[in-house]
Amino acid sequence: MGLLSIIRKIKRKEKEMRILMVGLDNSGKTTIVMKINGEDTSVISPTLGFNIKTIAYQKYTLNIWDVGGQKTIRSYWRNYFEQTDGLVWVVDSSDRRRLDDCKYELDNLLKEERLSGASLLIFANKQDIQGSLSPDEIAKVLKLEGMDKSRHWKIVGCSAYTGEGLLHGFDWLVQDIASRIYMLD
Amino acid sequence: MEETEQPTHDSAAAAAAEALDRKHSAMVERLSNRHHSRLSGKPDPSSATSFESTQSFLSQFSQSKSAIESDLTGIRHHSDPTQKPDLESISLQISALEKLVAESSYFLPPFEIRTCLNTIGHLRQTLDDVTSIVIPKKKFSFRNKPSKKTTTPIPPQNDAVFIEPEKKPGFRDLNPDHGFRNRENEVLTKEFNRSDSEIQIGEFTLSDLRGCEIRLKGCLRALFMDKLINCKVYVGVVMGSVLIEGAEDCVFVLGAHQIRIHNAKNCDFYLRVRSRPIIEDCNGVRFAPYCLNYEGIEKDLTEANLGVENGNWENVDDFRWLRALQSPNWSVLPENERISMVDTSNLGNVY
Repeated sequence: MGLLSIIRKIKRKEKEMRILMVGLDNSGKTTIVMKINGEDTSVISPTLGFNIKTIAYQKYTLNIWDVGGQKTIRSYWRNYFEQTDGLVWVVDSSDRRRLDDCKYELDNLLKEERLSGASLLIFANKQDIQGSLSPDEIAKVLKLEGMDKSRHWKIVGCSAYTGEGLLHGFDWLVQDIASRIYMLD
Repeated sequence: MEETEQPTHDSAAAAAAEALDRKHSAMVERLSNRHHSRLSGKPDPSSATSFESTQSFLSQFSQSKSAIESDLTGIRHHSDPTQKPDLESISLQISALEKLVAESSYFLPPFEIRTCLNTIGHLRQTLDDVTSIVIPKKKFSFRNKPSKKTTTPIPPQNDAVFIEPEKKPGFRDLNPDHGFRNRENEVLTKEFNRSDSEIQIGEFTLSDLRGCEIRLKGCLRALFMDKLINCKVYVGVVMGSVLIEGAEDCVFVLGAHQIRIHNAKNCDFYLRVRSRPIIEDCNGVRFAPYCLNYEGIEKDLTEANLGVENGNWENVDDFRWLRALQSPNWSVLPENERISMVDTSNLGNVY
Protein backbone atom coordinates (compact mmCIF):
# COMPACT_ATOMS: atom_id res chain seq x y z
CA MET A 1 0.00 0.00 0.00
CA GLY A 2 2.65 2.42 1.01
CA LEU A 3 4.76 1.55 -1.96
CA LEU A 4 1.84 1.76 -4.33
CA SER A 5 0.88 5.22 -3.21
CA ILE A 6 4.47 6.37 -3.57
CA ILE A 7 4.59 4.99 -7.07
CA ARG A 8 1.35 6.73 -7.91
CA LYS A 9 2.63 10.01 -6.66
CA ILE A 10 5.77 9.73 -8.70
CA LYS A 11 3.79 8.91 -11.79
CA ARG A 12 1.62 11.94 -11.31
CA LYS A 13 4.50 14.24 -10.67
CA GLU A 14 5.98 16.23 -13.53
CA LYS A 15 3.05 15.43 -15.71
CA GLU A 16 3.12 17.63 -18.75
CA MET A 17 0.16 18.74 -20.76
CA ARG A 18 0.29 20.43 -24.09
CA ILE A 19 -2.34 23.07 -24.60
CA LEU A 20 -3.08 24.89 -27.82
CA MET A 21 -4.74 28.30 -27.70
CA VAL A 22 -6.48 29.33 -30.89
CA GLY A 23 -9.27 31.63 -32.01
CA LEU A 24 -9.81 34.61 -34.26
CA ASP A 25 -7.54 37.62 -33.97
CA ASN A 26 -8.52 40.11 -31.29
CA SER A 27 -10.17 37.43 -29.15
CA GLY A 28 -7.67 37.83 -26.31
CA LYS A 29 -5.59 34.64 -26.43
CA THR A 30 -2.30 36.23 -25.45
CA THR A 31 -3.96 38.33 -22.78
CA ILE A 32 -5.47 35.20 -21.22
CA VAL A 33 -2.12 33.45 -21.10
CA MET A 34 -0.36 36.51 -19.67
CA LYS A 35 -3.09 37.06 -17.12
CA ILE A 36 -3.06 33.48 -15.90
CA ASN A 37 0.70 33.69 -15.61
CA GLY A 38 0.42 36.91 -13.60
CA GLU A 39 2.07 39.18 -16.13
CA ASP A 40 1.28 42.72 -17.22
CA THR A 41 -1.52 42.66 -19.77
CA SER A 42 -1.65 46.32 -20.67
CA VAL A 43 0.94 46.26 -23.45
CA ILE A 44 0.27 43.32 -25.71
CA SER A 45 0.76 43.57 -29.44
CA PRO A 46 -1.19 41.38 -31.83
CA THR A 47 0.72 38.10 -32.02
CA LEU A 48 2.94 37.80 -35.06
CA GLY A 49 3.74 34.10 -34.95
CA PHE A 50 3.32 32.37 -31.61
CA ASN A 51 4.30 32.39 -27.94
CA ILE A 52 5.05 29.43 -25.71
CA LYS A 53 4.52 29.61 -21.98
CA THR A 54 5.33 26.88 -19.50
CA ILE A 55 3.20 27.21 -16.42
CA ALA A 56 3.08 25.06 -13.31
CA TYR A 57 -0.60 24.51 -12.67
CA GLN A 58 -1.70 22.40 -9.73
CA LYS A 59 0.51 19.33 -10.00
CA TYR A 60 0.88 19.58 -13.73
CA THR A 61 3.14 21.44 -16.07
CA LEU A 62 1.23 23.17 -18.81
CA ASN A 63 2.95 23.92 -22.07
CA ILE A 64 0.72 26.56 -23.55
CA TRP A 65 1.09 27.34 -27.23
CA ASP A 66 -0.50 30.65 -28.01
CA VAL A 67 -0.77 30.97 -31.77
CA GLY A 68 -1.59 34.22 -33.57
CA GLY A 69 -5.11 34.45 -34.95
CA GLN A 70 -4.73 36.91 -37.82
CA LYS A 71 -6.25 35.58 -41.02
CA THR A 72 -2.90 35.42 -42.77
CA ILE A 73 -1.38 33.12 -40.18
CA ARG A 74 -4.37 30.89 -39.41
CA SER A 75 -3.10 28.52 -42.07
CA TYR A 76 -0.12 27.82 -39.81
CA TRP A 77 -2.26 26.58 -36.94
CA ARG A 78 -2.02 23.08 -38.32
CA ASN A 79 1.69 23.03 -37.57
CA TYR A 80 0.87 22.99 -33.88
CA PHE A 81 -1.75 20.24 -33.79
CA GLU A 82 0.53 17.30 -33.03
CA GLN A 83 0.40 15.92 -29.49
CA THR A 84 -2.17 18.43 -28.31
CA ASP A 85 -3.92 17.34 -25.10
CA GLY A 86 -6.14 20.35 -24.66
CA LEU A 87 -7.57 22.86 -27.09
CA VAL A 88 -8.63 26.30 -25.92
CA TRP A 89 -10.83 28.18 -28.37
CA VAL A 90 -11.16 31.83 -27.47
CA VAL A 91 -14.14 33.89 -28.61
CA ASP A 92 -14.49 37.67 -28.47
CA SER A 93 -18.01 37.84 -27.04
CA SER A 94 -18.37 41.48 -28.01
CA ASP A 95 -17.64 40.90 -31.69
CA ARG A 96 -21.04 39.88 -33.07
CA ARG A 97 -20.17 40.56 -36.64
CA ARG A 98 -17.47 37.93 -36.84
CA LEU A 99 -19.18 35.14 -34.94
CA ASP A 100 -19.85 33.51 -38.29
CA ASP A 101 -16.15 33.52 -39.08
CA CYS A 102 -15.58 32.19 -35.62
CA LYS A 103 -17.93 29.26 -36.16
CA TYR A 104 -16.44 28.54 -39.55
CA GLU A 105 -12.90 28.39 -38.22
CA LEU A 106 -13.88 26.30 -35.20
CA ASP A 107 -15.75 23.79 -37.33
CA ASN A 108 -12.72 23.47 -39.56
CA LEU A 109 -10.48 22.93 -36.61
CA LEU A 110 -12.63 20.21 -35.12
CA LYS A 111 -12.53 18.24 -38.35
CA GLU A 112 -8.82 17.89 -37.81
CA GLU A 113 -7.98 14.30 -36.97
CA ARG A 114 -4.91 15.10 -34.95
CA LEU A 115 -7.09 17.06 -32.54
CA SER A 116 -9.82 14.44 -32.28
CA GLY A 117 -8.78 13.30 -28.82
CA ALA A 118 -8.18 16.74 -27.34
CA SER A 119 -10.43 18.20 -24.67
CA LEU A 120 -12.03 21.41 -25.86
CA LEU A 121 -12.44 24.46 -23.66
CA ILE A 122 -14.25 27.43 -25.16
CA PHE A 123 -13.64 30.75 -23.49
CA ALA A 124 -16.38 33.33 -24.09
CA ASN A 125 -13.96 36.14 -23.41
CA LYS A 126 -14.57 39.85 -22.77
CA GLN A 127 -17.59 39.28 -20.55
CA ASP A 128 -16.61 42.47 -18.72
CA ILE A 129 -17.52 44.57 -21.76
CA GLN A 130 -21.08 45.72 -21.52
CA GLY A 131 -23.24 44.32 -24.29
CA SER A 132 -21.21 41.15 -24.78
CA LEU A 133 -23.02 37.95 -25.62
CA SER A 134 -23.40 35.44 -22.80
CA PRO A 135 -21.72 32.02 -22.95
CA ASP A 136 -25.12 30.43 -23.58
CA GLU A 137 -25.80 32.67 -26.53
CA ILE A 138 -22.38 31.90 -27.94
CA ALA A 139 -22.87 28.17 -27.45
CA LYS A 140 -26.06 28.51 -29.45
CA VAL A 141 -24.45 30.41 -32.31
CA LEU A 142 -21.52 28.02 -32.46
CA LYS A 143 -23.91 25.05 -32.24
CA LEU A 144 -21.81 23.37 -29.60
CA GLU A 145 -24.56 20.94 -28.64
CA GLY A 146 -24.39 19.43 -32.09
CA MET A 147 -20.78 18.45 -31.70
CA ASP A 148 -19.45 14.92 -32.00
CA LYS A 149 -20.57 13.01 -28.90
CA SER A 150 -17.15 11.71 -28.03
CA ARG A 151 -15.68 15.20 -27.66
CA HIS A 152 -15.16 16.45 -24.13
CA TRP A 153 -16.03 20.15 -24.16
CA LYS A 154 -17.08 23.02 -21.96
CA ILE A 155 -17.84 26.69 -22.50
CA VAL A 156 -16.84 29.18 -19.83
CA GLY A 157 -17.49 32.91 -19.72
CA CYS A 158 -14.42 34.87 -18.75
CA SER A 159 -12.66 38.18 -18.83
CA ALA A 160 -8.95 38.27 -19.49
CA TYR A 161 -9.13 41.91 -18.45
CA THR A 162 -10.31 41.21 -14.90
CA GLY A 163 -9.19 37.58 -14.74
CA GLU A 164 -12.66 36.32 -13.96
CA GLY A 165 -13.46 32.79 -15.06
CA LEU A 166 -9.97 31.94 -16.27
CA LEU A 167 -9.09 29.58 -13.43
CA HIS A 168 -12.51 27.97 -13.57
CA GLY A 169 -11.92 27.16 -17.23
CA PHE A 170 -8.38 25.89 -16.80
CA ASP A 171 -9.37 23.81 -13.77
CA TRP A 172 -11.89 21.98 -15.87
CA LEU A 173 -9.49 21.52 -18.77
CA VAL A 174 -6.64 20.19 -16.66
CA GLN A 175 -8.95 17.88 -14.74
CA ASP A 176 -10.47 16.53 -17.90
CA ILE A 177 -7.11 15.88 -19.51
CA ALA A 178 -5.77 14.30 -16.35
CA SER A 179 -8.64 11.87 -16.04
CA ARG A 180 -8.23 10.88 -19.65
CA ILE A 181 -4.49 10.63 -19.95
CA TYR A 182 -3.35 9.84 -16.48
CA MET A 183 -5.59 8.46 -13.81
CA LEU A 184 -8.53 9.37 -11.72
CA ASP A 185 -8.06 10.44 -8.15
CA MET B 1 -17.95 -71.35 1.10
CA GLU B 2 -15.78 -69.84 -1.45
CA GLU B 3 -18.59 -69.63 -3.81
CA THR B 4 -20.70 -67.75 -1.40
CA GLU B 5 -17.85 -65.66 -0.31
CA GLN B 6 -16.69 -64.82 -3.76
CA PRO B 7 -19.79 -63.03 -4.82
CA THR B 8 -20.02 -61.15 -1.53
CA HIS B 9 -16.44 -60.14 -1.93
CA ASP B 10 -17.11 -59.14 -5.50
CA SER B 11 -20.22 -57.25 -4.65
CA ALA B 12 -18.47 -55.54 -1.78
CA ALA B 13 -15.69 -54.52 -4.09
CA ALA B 14 -18.19 -53.38 -6.67
CA ALA B 15 -20.06 -51.40 -4.06
CA ALA B 16 -16.84 -49.84 -2.88
CA ALA B 17 -15.90 -48.92 -6.43
CA GLU B 18 -19.35 -47.50 -7.00
CA ALA B 19 -19.13 -45.42 -3.87
CA LEU B 20 -15.75 -44.17 -4.92
CA ASP B 21 -17.10 -43.32 -8.32
CA ARG B 22 -20.00 -41.44 -6.81
CA LYS B 23 -17.70 -39.59 -4.52
CA HIS B 24 -15.45 -38.70 -7.41
CA SER B 25 -18.25 -37.42 -9.60
CA ALA B 26 -19.65 -35.46 -6.67
CA MET B 27 -16.28 -33.91 -6.20
CA VAL B 28 -15.99 -33.10 -9.90
CA GLU B 29 -19.40 -31.58 -9.78
CA ARG B 30 -18.55 -29.56 -6.74
CA LEU B 31 -15.37 -28.37 -8.36
CA SER B 32 -17.05 -27.41 -11.57
CA ASN B 33 -19.75 -25.65 -9.59
CA ARG B 34 -17.17 -23.69 -7.73
CA HIS B 35 -15.39 -22.99 -11.00
CA HIS B 36 -18.60 -21.70 -12.52
CA SER B 37 -19.41 -19.57 -9.58
CA ARG B 38 -15.92 -18.17 -9.68
CA LEU B 39 -16.28 -17.45 -13.39
CA SER B 40 -19.64 -15.81 -13.06
CA GLY B 41 -18.53 -13.88 -10.04
CA LYS B 42 -15.56 -12.52 -11.90
CA PRO B 43 -16.99 -9.58 -13.86
CA ASP B 44 -18.17 -7.94 -10.69
CA PRO B 45 -14.91 -7.16 -8.99
CA SER B 46 -13.05 -6.56 -12.24
CA SER B 47 -15.49 -3.98 -13.54
CA ALA B 48 -14.69 -1.87 -10.54
CA THR B 49 -11.36 -0.37 -11.37
CA SER B 50 -10.05 -0.97 -7.90
CA PHE B 51 -9.43 -4.59 -8.81
CA GLU B 52 -5.77 -4.40 -9.48
CA SER B 53 -4.97 -7.53 -11.38
CA THR B 54 -3.38 -7.51 -14.79
CA GLN B 55 -5.04 -10.81 -15.62
CA SER B 56 -8.57 -9.61 -15.02
CA PHE B 57 -7.86 -6.32 -16.72
CA LEU B 58 -6.64 -8.10 -19.83
CA SER B 59 -9.64 -10.39 -19.99
CA GLN B 60 -11.99 -7.45 -19.62
CA PHE B 61 -10.07 -5.50 -22.20
CA SER B 62 -10.15 -8.29 -24.76
CA GLN B 63 -13.85 -8.85 -24.13
CA SER B 64 -14.71 -5.23 -24.87
CA LYS B 65 -12.34 -5.27 -27.78
CA SER B 66 -13.96 -8.26 -29.46
CA ALA B 67 -17.42 -6.79 -28.76
CA ILE B 68 -16.45 -3.57 -30.52
CA GLU B 69 -14.86 -5.47 -33.37
CA SER B 70 -17.91 -7.61 -33.98
CA ASP B 71 -20.12 -4.51 -33.90
CA LEU B 72 -17.89 -2.89 -36.45
CA THR B 73 -17.88 -5.83 -38.82
CA GLY B 74 -21.64 -6.04 -38.44
CA ILE B 75 -22.02 -2.44 -39.50
CA ARG B 76 -19.51 -2.79 -42.28
CA HIS B 77 -21.50 -5.63 -43.86
CA HIS B 78 -24.76 -3.83 -44.29
CA SER B 79 -23.56 -0.33 -44.78
CA ASP B 80 -26.54 1.90 -44.25
CA PRO B 81 -26.34 5.59 -43.37
CA THR B 82 -28.98 5.28 -40.64
CA GLN B 83 -26.38 3.59 -38.47
CA LYS B 84 -24.70 6.81 -37.52
CA PRO B 85 -25.84 6.62 -33.88
CA ASP B 86 -24.38 3.09 -33.69
CA LEU B 87 -21.06 4.44 -34.87
CA GLU B 88 -21.21 7.15 -32.28
CA SER B 89 -21.88 4.65 -29.55
CA ILE B 90 -18.93 2.58 -30.72
CA SER B 91 -16.79 5.65 -30.58
CA LEU B 92 -17.98 6.15 -27.01
CA GLN B 93 -17.13 2.54 -26.21
CA ILE B 94 -13.63 3.05 -27.54
CA SER B 95 -13.27 6.13 -25.38
CA ALA B 96 -14.45 4.12 -22.39
CA LEU B 97 -11.86 1.49 -23.18
CA GLU B 98 -9.19 4.16 -23.37
CA LYS B 99 -10.31 5.47 -20.03
CA LEU B 100 -10.12 1.99 -18.57
CA VAL B 101 -6.52 1.72 -19.72
CA ALA B 102 -5.74 5.12 -18.27
CA GLU B 103 -7.28 4.19 -14.95
CA SER B 104 -5.45 0.92 -14.80
CA SER B 105 -2.17 2.36 -16.00
CA TYR B 106 -0.64 2.52 -12.57
CA PHE B 107 -0.56 -1.24 -12.05
CA LEU B 108 -0.11 -2.45 -15.62
CA PRO B 109 3.29 -3.37 -16.97
CA PRO B 110 4.46 -0.86 -19.59
CA PHE B 111 4.32 -3.49 -22.28
CA GLU B 112 0.63 -4.12 -21.70
CA ILE B 113 -0.13 -0.40 -21.69
CA ARG B 114 1.61 0.01 -24.99
CA THR B 115 -0.14 -2.97 -26.54
CA CYS B 116 -3.52 -1.81 -25.30
CA LEU B 117 -3.02 1.72 -26.58
CA ASN B 118 -1.97 0.25 -29.92
CA THR B 119 -5.11 -1.85 -30.00
CA ILE B 120 -7.21 1.21 -29.24
CA GLY B 121 -5.47 3.04 -32.05
CA HIS B 122 -6.33 0.21 -34.41
CA LEU B 123 -9.93 0.19 -33.27
CA ARG B 124 -10.17 3.95 -33.92
CA GLN B 125 -8.67 3.42 -37.34
CA THR B 126 -11.17 0.69 -38.15
CA LEU B 127 -14.00 2.86 -36.88
CA ASP B 128 -12.84 5.67 -39.16
CA ASP B 129 -12.64 3.28 -42.10
CA VAL B 130 -16.10 1.91 -41.43
CA THR B 131 -17.46 5.42 -40.96
CA SER B 132 -16.03 6.42 -44.30
CA ILE B 133 -17.71 3.44 -45.94
CA VAL B 134 -21.06 3.90 -44.25
CA ILE B 135 -21.27 7.66 -44.36
CA PRO B 136 -19.87 8.81 -47.68
CA LYS B 137 -18.90 12.42 -46.93
CA LYS B 138 -15.46 12.07 -45.55
CA LYS B 139 -13.23 13.98 -43.25
CA PHE B 140 -10.03 12.92 -44.95
CA SER B 141 -10.69 15.11 -47.92
CA PHE B 142 -10.87 18.14 -45.66
CA ARG B 143 -7.60 17.55 -44.00
CA ASN B 144 -5.23 19.60 -46.06
CA LYS B 145 -7.65 22.08 -47.52
CA PRO B 146 -9.06 24.29 -44.78
CA SER B 147 -5.79 25.91 -43.92
CA LYS B 148 -5.14 26.78 -47.51
CA LYS B 149 -8.67 27.94 -48.03
CA THR B 150 -8.48 30.51 -45.29
CA THR B 151 -6.00 32.53 -47.27
CA THR B 152 -7.93 32.40 -50.51
CA PRO B 153 -11.05 34.45 -51.08
CA ILE B 154 -13.29 31.35 -51.29
CA PRO B 155 -14.35 30.89 -47.63
CA PRO B 156 -16.13 34.23 -47.26
CA GLN B 157 -18.59 33.17 -49.96
CA ASN B 158 -18.77 29.80 -48.38
CA ASP B 159 -19.81 30.82 -44.93
CA ALA B 160 -21.96 33.59 -46.31
CA VAL B 161 -23.93 30.90 -48.05
CA PHE B 162 -24.50 28.54 -45.17
CA ILE B 163 -24.47 30.81 -42.17
CA GLU B 164 -26.31 33.92 -43.28
CA PRO B 165 -29.84 32.52 -43.16
CA GLU B 166 -29.64 31.12 -39.64
CA LYS B 167 -27.87 34.05 -38.09
CA LYS B 168 -30.57 36.66 -38.51
CA PRO B 169 -33.29 35.55 -36.11
CA GLY B 170 -30.78 34.60 -33.46
CA PHE B 171 -28.62 36.92 -31.47
CA ARG B 172 -28.84 40.18 -33.35
CA ASP B 173 -32.19 41.31 -31.96
CA LEU B 174 -31.38 39.86 -28.61
CA ASN B 175 -28.97 42.54 -27.69
CA PRO B 176 -28.66 45.42 -30.12
CA ASP B 177 -25.19 46.83 -29.80
CA HIS B 178 -24.32 50.48 -29.94
CA GLY B 179 -23.19 52.06 -33.16
CA PHE B 180 -23.75 54.04 -36.32
CA ARG B 181 -24.77 52.05 -39.38
CA ASN B 182 -25.75 52.68 -42.97
CA ARG B 183 -25.32 56.43 -43.10
CA GLU B 184 -24.23 58.72 -45.86
CA ASN B 185 -22.79 62.23 -45.80
CA GLU B 186 -23.56 62.94 -42.15
CA VAL B 187 -21.72 64.23 -39.16
CA LEU B 188 -22.12 61.66 -36.40
CA THR B 189 -21.11 62.50 -32.86
CA LYS B 190 -21.21 60.61 -29.62
CA GLU B 191 -19.85 61.31 -26.20
CA PHE B 192 -18.87 58.51 -23.86
CA ASN B 193 -19.12 59.49 -20.28
CA ARG B 194 -16.43 57.75 -18.40
CA SER B 195 -16.98 59.52 -15.11
CA ASP B 196 -19.99 57.42 -14.08
CA SER B 197 -18.31 54.14 -14.70
CA GLU B 198 -21.45 52.09 -14.17
CA ILE B 199 -22.98 53.26 -17.41
CA GLN B 200 -19.71 52.88 -19.22
CA ILE B 201 -20.41 51.89 -22.76
CA GLY B 202 -18.60 48.75 -23.76
CA GLU B 203 -18.35 48.24 -27.44
CA PHE B 204 -19.25 50.58 -30.28
CA THR B 205 -19.62 49.82 -33.96
CA LEU B 206 -19.26 51.92 -37.09
CA SER B 207 -20.55 50.06 -40.09
CA ASP B 208 -21.41 50.85 -43.72
CA LEU B 209 -20.68 54.55 -43.61
CA ARG B 210 -19.99 56.67 -46.67
CA GLY B 211 -18.76 60.25 -46.72
CA CYS B 212 -19.37 60.70 -42.98
CA GLU B 213 -17.49 62.48 -40.28
CA ILE B 214 -17.54 60.57 -36.98
CA ARG B 215 -16.50 62.09 -33.68
CA LEU B 216 -16.35 59.94 -30.58
CA LYS B 217 -15.35 61.63 -27.37
CA GLY B 218 -14.31 60.04 -24.08
CA CYS B 219 -13.30 56.45 -23.32
CA LEU B 220 -14.78 53.26 -24.64
CA ARG B 221 -13.75 49.63 -24.32
CA ALA B 222 -13.85 48.24 -27.82
CA LEU B 223 -14.41 49.75 -31.25
CA PHE B 224 -15.37 47.84 -34.38
CA MET B 225 -15.39 49.47 -37.79
CA ASP B 226 -16.26 47.94 -41.11
CA LYS B 227 -16.97 49.14 -44.63
CA LEU B 228 -16.12 52.79 -44.29
CA ILE B 229 -15.68 54.80 -47.46
CA ASN B 230 -14.40 58.34 -47.64
CA CYS B 231 -14.95 58.97 -43.93
CA LYS B 232 -13.20 60.95 -41.25
CA VAL B 233 -13.07 59.20 -37.90
CA TYR B 234 -11.96 61.01 -34.74
CA VAL B 235 -11.87 58.89 -31.62
CA GLY B 236 -10.77 59.83 -28.13
CA VAL B 237 -9.54 56.75 -26.35
CA VAL B 238 -10.30 53.06 -26.71
CA MET B 239 -9.27 51.24 -23.55
CA GLY B 240 -9.21 47.91 -25.37
CA SER B 241 -8.82 47.08 -29.02
CA VAL B 242 -9.85 48.66 -32.29
CA LEU B 243 -10.69 46.45 -35.23
CA ILE B 244 -11.00 47.98 -38.67
CA GLU B 245 -12.13 45.83 -41.55
CA GLY B 246 -12.59 47.34 -44.95
CA ALA B 247 -11.89 51.06 -45.30
CA GLU B 248 -11.22 53.18 -48.33
CA ASP B 249 -10.02 56.76 -48.63
CA CYS B 250 -10.53 57.46 -44.95
CA VAL B 251 -8.75 59.42 -42.26
CA PHE B 252 -8.57 57.98 -38.74
CA VAL B 253 -7.39 59.71 -35.60
CA LEU B 254 -7.35 57.16 -32.80
CA GLY B 255 -5.96 56.44 -29.36
CA ALA B 256 -6.09 52.79 -28.29
CA HIS B 257 -4.41 49.86 -26.61
CA GLN B 258 -4.43 47.69 -29.71
CA ILE B 259 -5.19 48.41 -33.36
CA ARG B 260 -5.79 45.88 -36.09
CA ILE B 261 -6.38 47.11 -39.63
CA HIS B 262 -7.66 44.72 -42.29
CA ASN B 263 -8.40 45.46 -45.94
CA ALA B 264 -7.75 49.18 -45.89
CA LYS B 265 -6.92 51.09 -49.04
CA ASN B 266 -5.53 54.60 -49.27
CA CYS B 267 -6.17 55.56 -45.67
CA ASP B 268 -4.27 57.79 -43.27
CA PHE B 269 -3.96 56.85 -39.61
CA TYR B 270 -3.00 59.26 -36.85
CA LEU B 271 -2.41 56.98 -33.88
CA ARG B 272 -1.33 56.75 -30.31
CA VAL B 273 -1.15 53.06 -29.35
CA ARG B 274 0.09 51.06 -26.40
CA SER B 275 1.22 48.21 -28.64
CA ARG B 276 2.28 47.75 -32.24
CA PRO B 277 -0.43 48.50 -34.80
CA ILE B 278 -0.89 45.75 -37.36
CA ILE B 279 -2.12 45.75 -40.93
CA GLU B 280 -3.29 42.82 -43.03
CA ASP B 281 -4.30 42.92 -46.68
CA CYS B 282 -3.81 46.68 -46.81
CA ASN B 283 -2.52 48.93 -49.50
CA GLY B 284 -1.44 52.53 -49.54
CA VAL B 285 -1.97 53.13 -45.84
CA ARG B 286 0.04 55.85 -44.13
CA PHE B 287 0.78 56.51 -40.49
CA ALA B 288 1.40 59.60 -38.38
CA PRO B 289 1.23 60.56 -34.69
CA TYR B 290 -2.05 61.28 -32.90
CA CYS B 291 -3.42 64.80 -33.28
CA LEU B 292 -6.79 65.14 -31.58
CA ASN B 293 -7.95 67.63 -29.03
CA TYR B 294 -11.12 68.21 -27.05
CA GLU B 295 -11.87 69.36 -23.59
CA GLY B 296 -10.74 66.72 -21.11
CA ILE B 297 -8.73 64.65 -23.58
CA GLU B 298 -5.65 64.79 -21.37
CA LYS B 299 -7.54 63.08 -18.60
CA ASP B 300 -8.87 60.39 -20.92
CA LEU B 301 -5.44 59.71 -22.35
CA THR B 302 -3.82 59.51 -18.93
CA GLU B 303 -6.55 57.17 -17.77
CA ALA B 304 -5.68 54.82 -20.60
CA ASN B 305 -1.93 55.08 -20.00
CA LEU B 306 -1.61 56.97 -23.25
CA GLY B 307 -0.60 60.29 -21.75
CA VAL B 308 2.78 60.34 -23.41
CA GLU B 309 3.63 59.82 -27.04
CA ASN B 310 5.48 56.48 -27.22
CA GLY B 311 6.35 56.35 -30.90
CA ASN B 312 4.44 53.13 -31.50
CA TRP B 313 2.44 54.73 -34.30
CA GLU B 314 5.26 53.91 -36.70
CA ASN B 315 6.03 50.39 -35.42
CA VAL B 316 3.64 48.86 -37.85
CA ASP B 317 3.59 45.08 -38.44
CA ASP B 318 2.35 43.98 -41.82
CA PHE B 319 1.10 40.40 -41.65
CA ARG B 320 1.28 40.22 -45.41
CA TRP B 321 4.93 41.19 -45.45
CA LEU B 322 6.97 39.02 -43.12
CA ARG B 323 10.39 40.23 -44.16
CA ALA B 324 12.98 42.54 -42.76
CA LEU B 325 12.56 44.95 -45.65
CA GLN B 326 10.07 47.79 -45.32
CA SER B 327 6.64 46.66 -46.44
CA PRO B 328 5.42 48.30 -49.65
CA ASN B 329 1.89 48.38 -48.24
CA TRP B 330 2.38 51.17 -45.72
CA SER B 331 4.51 54.22 -45.15
CA VAL B 332 5.06 57.09 -42.76
CA LEU B 333 2.97 60.06 -43.75
CA PRO B 334 5.32 62.90 -44.81
CA GLU B 335 5.13 65.77 -42.35
CA ASN B 336 4.04 68.34 -44.88
CA GLU B 337 1.03 66.24 -45.83
CA ARG B 338 -0.26 65.71 -42.28
CA ILE B 339 -3.39 67.41 -41.07
CA SER B 340 -3.03 69.86 -38.24
CA MET B 341 -4.46 69.28 -34.77
CA VAL B 342 -8.16 68.40 -34.93
CA ASP B 343 -10.36 69.93 -32.26
CA THR B 344 -13.69 68.25 -31.62
CA SER B 345 -14.58 70.29 -28.52
CA ASN B 346 -17.77 71.59 -30.07
CA LEU B 347 -19.79 68.52 -30.81
CA GLY B 348 -21.96 68.95 -33.83
CA ASN B 349 -19.90 71.68 -35.40
CA VAL B 350 -18.04 70.98 -38.55
CA TYR B 351 -14.70 72.52 -37.76
